[in-house]
Amino acid sequence: MPGEARPKASRQLPGEAQPKASRAHIEVTTWVTKHAGGDGTGSKLFDERIGRGDTPRTVLRRFTARFPELDSALWSPDHSELGSHIEVLVNDEVLGVTYELDTPLIGEERITLLGQFMGG
Amino acid sequence: MSPTATTTRAAAKPAATPIYAYAGKLLRVNLSTGKTWTEAWSEADRREYLGGIGLGAKILYDEVGPKVQWDHPDNRLIMATGPLAGLPVWGTGGLTVITRGALTGGATSTQANGFFGAALKYSGYDAIVMQGQAKKLSYLYINDDVVEVRDAAHLAGKDTWETQQALEAEHGLAGHRLSVYAIGPAGENLVRFAAIHGDYGHVASKNGCGAVMGKKKLKAVCIVRGTKALAAHDARGLIQVADDIAHDLKTDPSTSTLYNLGTLPGVVNLSKLGALPIKNYTTNLTGDVDMKEWEGRKLREGFDHRGHQCNACGMRHCHIQVIPSGPHAGDRVDEPEYEGWSGAGWTIGLTEKIPVSWLNTQIDRACVDVNEFGWVCGWVMECLEKGYLTEKQVGFKLTWGDVEGANRLLQMISHRRGFGDILAEGVKRASEKIGGKAAECAIYTMKGASPRGHDHRGRWEEMLDTCTSSNGTMESANPTFQTEVGAPGRINPFDGEQVAKLVGMIRGRRHFEDSLGGCSFTFRTRMANLASALSAATGWDFRLKDAVRFGNRTAAILRAFNLRCGIGPDVEYPSARYGSQPVDGPAREHDVRKQWDRMLEVWYETVNYDRKTGKPKKELLNSLDLGWLAKDLYGKK
Repeated sequence: MPGEARPKASRQLPGEAQPKASRAHIEVTTWVTKHAGGDGTGSKLFDERIGRGDTPRTVLRRFTARFPELDSALWSPDHSELGSHIEVLVNDEVLGVTYELDTPLIGEERITLLGQFMGG
Repeated sequence: MSPTATTTRAAAKPAATPIYAYAGKLLRVNLSTGKTWTEAWSEADRREYLGGIGLGAKILYDEVGPKVQWDHPDNRLIMATGPLAGLPVWGTGGLTVITRGALTGGATSTQANGFFGAALKYSGYDAIVMQGQAKKLSYLYINDDVVEVRDAAHLAGKDTWETQQALEAEHGLAGHRLSVYAIGPAGENLVRFAAIHGDYGHVASKNGCGAVMGKKKLKAVCIVRGTKALAAHDARGLIQVADDIAHDLKTDPSTSTLYNLGTLPGVVNLSKLGALPIKNYTTNLTGDVDMKEWEGRKLREGFDHRGHQCNACGMRHCHIQVIPSGPHAGDRVDEPEYEGWSGAGWTIGLTEKIPVSWLNTQIDRACVDVNEFGWVCGWVMECLEKGYLTEKQVGFKLTWGDVEGANRLLQMISHRRGFGDILAEGVKRASEKIGGKAAECAIYTMKGASPRGHDHRGRWEEMLDTCTSSNGTMESANPTFQTEVGAPGRINPFDGEQVAKLVGMIRGRRHFEDSLGGCSFTFRTRMANLASALSAATGWDFRLKDAVRFGNRTAAILRAFNLRCGIGPDVEYPSARYGSQPVDGPAREHDVRKQWDRMLEVWYETVNYDRKTGKPKKELLNSLDLGWLAKDLYGKK
């Protein structure tokens, strides 16, 4: 059950320069798992170390550098923006609500990569 | 790889003036008199109104005046297909039902698939326009030029699957050789959210079109796959575009799951976004349910299943499955779409897959809209739990997830028995009648339309679209390749202005799709591809801009129809529960009500309609070559 598998989300406000914890959790779900060693179902959870100044963008850039297919699926060709096929959620909220791509992380955030789908 | 299921039919003999992609005739039926006749429609009209909802909207506007209510014999029941139906493009057996609907009392367009559209075109007709009311239960039989209104006494009371089986046996035809769209008991008993069901698992579900059919005492439309010629202008070009569309569907990241699994992945994905409706919107948490078991692949693999593709379709979408265990083991059912899993499942607290699958087909067989059933049944369950309704009122105890109880309620509704008679009016009317705290729990739009099977509090674009649309359901959302029309690929879904602008910008696409005679899932491609397919089929030079213009014209005609029926901006908002702030889950921080007025302002500005009157602005109508409509709306000056 995802609720059990997920680490508890931080309740602190984002945007502080100094992370309170040294990692974020990246959850890769649905068809996106195929690009991260999965079979296109379920979810895969990865822990990523973070440091001062890290943001969803920097953490995801480091993460996707290890998975070339995911890298090209997640980013625009010049890596300046996200592509349009993968939704990024931070602590269950889409980007633009509490976190932007360049909001400094405070630690223990769960960054979810959710493949877009059509139908339903 | 090219689509393979059918090839372009060569013309039987050369015609003096070939009509490409169309049969070129409308079939008219007066059920009061039994008279049937055909009516040619010109190439200019075909180019302007295409088919499906485009054609239907114009006929509805011209022929159904404001005093003709949904249950009046002069109401039209239009089953229209489109130019791609019957041609070798995936999923082109579609039809759109257009009428004045029983839930909103306004325009309806609701699309379904199977083989009907292709069978109709091969019989020589692009659409059936039915008027009047039969004196006794009847069915319409079409076999090329033989068109008859026949007695249907032997079909009375049968559910939709039984009706199809009976007609197959009667005519000695089955499978793809006979297409049947029928009503079950809910339609015969004028349930306001009765649907029209066809070809084992396809449903034109919205706005009580099945009640309209029931009022006309029309049990079924039964078409023998015809033998008439149907040709594309550029058959090779059409195959090429069809191939491009199929390639897109298979390889595009966002559509490849649709290609492989249909709408099944919706359950898990939407649960992560707070858009899966759970227990009548009382929570957005999946609790102790193992969601891995609800992934698309698992939903399919849990059953013995077989592909059940529509006309010329290469998708792995529709399936028939067998109930593997329990009291209904061995029953054949239609694999639920996402909305089946939600309306017959999560919405009513039922989270066991086998019972959901079984109940979903019972709903289809009764010819009830699964979305509205979910809102009605979930509402009753919540009200009983909270004491807003009593067991005595309902007639029995019904708790969350009780599948046999839900089926009992379904039968009560379908036959208007006991409390089911009140519920058969739909959740808006039923909750208004009960009143008090119960009324606050009901999910509906103030127009009376049923929201689709999502929790729109996590999907604001669909809530806005459902409330502002003029067709009894959504007419714009959800976005599909929206960057093609200049809309952003990504927005903040809880920023009302961004949402409203997006919904306004993508307006038109769905009407274009629903005019072509195909499936909205196999048409999840770029509009430019669909325009290219239309061009190859007809010989016209039809581009993306023409598709957008067409969609906006159709939307304006439907809006004018509704305004004439007295349905305007004053009812464009959600019910208290529908528009409430979620108590938990991913969307819990977001209250759509705080932004609703601003959303409407931005939407009206974007679509160029007048905020106060709801009318499309005169300059918009003129730019769409709808001067005749401008005269109707604004007078002759």
